[in-house]
Amino acid sequence: MKVPMKWLKEYVDIKMSAQEYADRMVMSGTGVESVDEVGGDFDGVVAGKVLTCDAHPDSDHLHVCTVDVGGETPLTIVCGAPNVAAGQTVPVALVGATLPGGIKIKKGKLRGVESSGMICSGPELGLPQGLYPHVGEEGILVIAENVAPGSDAKEIFGLDDVAVDFEILANRPDCLSIWGLARESSAVLEEHCLMPEIVVEENGTGTFLDYAHVEVRDKELCPRYCARVIEGVKIGPSPKWMRAYLHAAGVRPINNIVDITNYVMLETGHPMHAFDLDKVRDHTIVVRRAEQGETLKTLDGKEHLLTTDMLVIADSKSATGLAGIMGGEESEILEDTRAVLFECAVFDRTNNRLTSRALGVRTEASGRFERGVCVEDTMEALERACMLVNMLECGKVVPGIFDSCPEPKEREPILGSVERINRLISTNLSGEQMEDILCRLYIETTCCGDTLTALPPPWRGDIETEADLAEEVLRLNGYEHIPSTLMHGVTMAGFRGQRQVLSDRIKDCMVGMGWFEIMNFSFISPRWLEKLGLEAMDKRLCPVVVRNPLGEDTSVMRTSMVPSMLSSLSVNLNRGINEGKLFELAPVFFPEEEGELPEERQTLCLGLYGDDIDFYGLRDACACLLNPFGIEVDTVSGGDAYYHPGRKALLIAEGKRIGQLGEIHPDTAEEFDIEGKRVYVAELDIVEFGVLIKPIPQVKTLPKYPAVARDLALVMREETSVGPVIATIRKAAGKVLEDVGLFDIYRGAQVEANSKSVAFNLSFRAVDRTLTEAEISRVMDKVLKAVESVHGARIRS
Amino acid sequence: MREQLENILSRVQAELSAIQDTGALEQLRVKVMGKKGEFTAILRGMGQIPADQRPAMGQMVNEVRNKLESAIEEARIRLGLIEKEARLKQEAIDVTLPGTSRCRGSLHPMSIVLDDLLDIFTGMGFEVVEGPEVEYDHYNFELLNLPKHHPARDAQDTFYIDDNIVLRTHTSPVQARIMTTRKPPIRIVCPGRVYRADEVDATHSPVFHQIEGLVIDEDISIGDLKGTLDTFAHRLYGPGVTTRFRPSFFPFTEPSAEVDLTCANCDGAGCKMCKGTGWIEVLGSGMVNPKVLEMCGIDSKKYTGFAFGMGIERLAILRYNIPDMRYLYENDLRFLKQFR
Repeated sequence: MKVPMKWLKEYVDIKMSAQEYADRMVMSGTGVESVDEVGGDFDGVVAGKVLTCDAHPDSDHLHVCTVDVGGETPLTIVCGAPNVAAGQTVPVALVGATLPGGIKIKKGKLRGVESSGMICSGPELGLPQGLYPHVGEEGILVIAENVAPGSDAKEIFGLDDVAVDFEILANRPDCLSIWGLARESSAVLEEHCLMPEIVVEENGTGTFLDYAHVEVRDKELCPRYCARVIEGVKIGPSPKWMRAYLHAAGVRPINNIVDITNYVMLETGHPMHAFDLDKVRDHTIVVRRAEQGETLKTLDGKEHLLTTDMLVIADSKSATGLAGIMGGEESEILEDTRAVLFECAVFDRTNNRLTSRALGVRTEASGRFERGVCVEDTMEALERACMLVNMLECGKVVPGIFDSCPEPKEREPILGSVERINRLISTNLSGEQMEDILCRLYIETTCCGDTLTALPPPWRGDIETEADLAEEVLRLNGYEHIPSTLMHGVTMAGFRGQRQVLSDRIKDCMVGMGWFEIMNFSFISPRWLEKLGLEAMDKRLCPVVVRNPLGEDTSVMRTSMVPSMLSSLSVNLNRGINEGKLFELAPVFFPEEEGELPEERQTLCLGLYGDDIDFYGLRDACACLLNPFGIEVDTVSGGDAYYHPGRKALLIAEGKRIGQLGEIHPDTAEEFDIEGKRVYVAELDIVEFGVLIKPIPQVKTLPKYPAVARDLALVMREETSVGPVIATIRKAAGKVLEDVGLFDIYRGAQVEANSKSVAFNLSFRAVDRTLTEAEISRVMDKVLKAVESVHGARIRS
Repeated sequence: MREQLENILSRVQAELSAIQDTGALEQLRVKVMGKKGEFTAILRGMGQIPADQRPAMGQMVNEVRNKLESAIEEARIRLGLIEKEARLKQEAIDVTLPGTSRCRGSLHPMSIVLDDLLDIFTGMGFEVVEGPEVEYDHYNFELLNLPKHHPARDAQDTFYIDDNIVLRTHTSPVQARIMTTRKPPIRIVCPGRVYRADEVDATHSPVFHQIEGLVIDEDISIGDLKGTLDTFAHRLYGPGVTTRFRPSFFPFTEPSAEVDLTCANCDGAGCKMCKGTGWIEVLGSGMVNPKVLEMCGIDSKKYTGFAFGMGIERLAILRYNIPDMRYLYENDLRFLKQFR
């Protein structure tokens, strides 16, 4: 809400600078976006009287003028405009002046004649249309008023003001008006607020009913409708002061009748509408719901298809305007308008909002209605408009009014406790002090003992409870006086939740191993899921769908972390970064029954590429991550189709599948713009992971007896997996086998074709004795028998 | 024999002073003192010495042996030191050679900031509570005094799944869930991801993070809110940073306050970051609206409370001077490595 300070000062005395005033308003809760001079984009322009105007000796279109700009001697100025003439008062940009676009005026010679300045047109000064008569036309601007040469042009055009752009909070629609802000300012500054006395002279002929018939059919959607008729209308420009105010408030002046409606809207907060009565069929205005399928062309030339949920203003035949949103083309005020019906009404905010959203039409008026317009002072706003008609003498107010008004509601006073309010807002004010503050805000308040009885004015619909009163008291007492205290009461233990602790541990572990945490959006493109090549029935292909996404690429909640990870890997790869170790910990989402919240499953995703990186590096990282949690993990061949068929594995712990890992299939990689580099991905289900976490490990005593080492080289078929062989060795050796490790795999001349020799080192130890040679031999025999029978492996001779 | 002994002693002493390494020393020792050595050979001649001269000669032999042995030992120590020094000198390496980059990774800057926040708030007795990101309209809006079609909902452009399920627009629904299931005293913080239908640009993201706090107990005042946030500001930015409360409006709090912190970039003097005001707008807060308490089944006559919330991205951007919000979700390692 842009407020010209001059306009505001008509109603409240503001003794400080606009900036100081704005700061005071901010600290009392009225936000300020900016404080700007209305000023226009020029400087150093004054009024000049053209004394002489002669043709340029060397040009067929230039004029040489002498111009009195209030100085001792007149200036010589060369001017190219055809309409310049002696006797005119014109705007003169003096040497040193700046014009819009940063143009600087310098002394110069035009075809041999010295020119000290420039006579300006409206467009050259950047003056907006409607601000001044003929302002938009080519040729120099002739100043109509009788002003002394040398007067500041800004003053002449009404630009010598400062506008404060307020940011009004959602609960204060009353402050979307000059009057509302005047009231608020007077309370904040503790200054008097003087509203105009509204007197209308009904100087027209006949009565309202002679001119118009109004019928409000839906009083629920239109709780108040006030109307007046103006006859003998003379359309013309509104006076300078009104144009200047409108311009400074950011509204384009149009003509006197339209300007009055806009002026009243800004001043009182009530959107108004003016109908050209002669264009309203049968002079009848009906406020009703639209008929199903009814169409309407609004002022902006757009055609709308309406539904019965929408409220329209109609004449005897059809809808002519969207109630409270935009008028129709047909009854627009034009030069030839002779009789006008002023409408000042209140429409249901929710209905107005829904209609405006449904049709995609948002206007100043609809914005105001959906935030809430006061029902009670509607008539006052209409009367203010008529008073302005009297003032501007642009028509005659016809006696009689139309007012469709609800039963006046008995306003309920709010009760508040002085002590409770003081406790809540950390103040120590007396009941009288609170009473004084509230009364400044037009809240009629009396204090009796501890009890405040407060009756807010009709425009303060936001004040409903004691807490609201507390806020008003706190606001005007000053938020800067809030003390800084510490909570008392019971001491509470602060701690992180279980999931948070687990996620912190996982992240710390990954970071320690040299991985980088990434964050991706939780929604992705459904096409990304399709690129994974999952089977048709895979539940990951049925994601939770966002009904109103920003775009297709963020339209479903991810069911897999893999696409986002591949995209992140791709970003880094394609930016020439030669190694990436990324991880992301976030939920994936799976739909539940209709109306239920989806399942959110925490998932860890690892993504890896670089030189010297292979499947085993990724697998070891997973094992390293899981080990500190007491989880022993096995890998078995298998996994989704987006992995390399020969380089993928499931992660199994205690017989449960907790994730999968592998090299990404080259086809899938290509889908994500990954080429020329192998990338590896692992996925871990954190929910399963969490279940498997072992309690705090208990310490084992350190061994007292020595360990005995044995090497064992086994020849086995090429396709035999080593993992299960190790499992067999462990099982066969029993608990005296302390550890078994792999130290070599040999393929070549020394072993037969399609075979490999796998060498292990075994370490034996007993807790209670030194193992004898005989014992170890017995164990080794068992191991050999077992690997032979299970895997067909023999000792290498 | 005496001459022989004196001779050998002086010769060995001369040779020792010329010896340069422990190998040569050992050779000399064997040559003199070894089983077949010169000194040992002299000793063998002891038998031929007359008995009356033997004690004196024996004493002399012992003296010479001691002198020889200590001279050799001395040389060994001297040479050992020289050799160790030489070895150490020779083993010197170029300590400025660049290393292989086996380093720690890093947390995402958002996680780092969130971690710090959780440390601060758990230290003040707040429990960390989380909730679903896809949430019922009921918890996200209605229980927070934002009924359907309320214009204030416009401020939080919402992604809908269906009429009653949304992507949560703030972490406040977690507070609503706690208020409807627990009895006061309540002291929680709720961090998490939230969603608003904002197009991606330098200062907006449709996915971002918030942390909100809620305290409900008997006699909680707005001073307690300020005290809590002052403590938070001091811990996060240092004792020079203070809070400034400005009146504001949120449907779920009454009174409400927008909270600014002293601009840490210019210590409140006014700079580009704070648009010359010396203050940075960081938090929304207020006293829990009694309507919200009642809707959640808490007696608003007995209990009062405060709530606050802030965007974690904003804190991270301010703290690390991140020029563009998109950096946070692009996952470019050149950015992420700066947080190692």
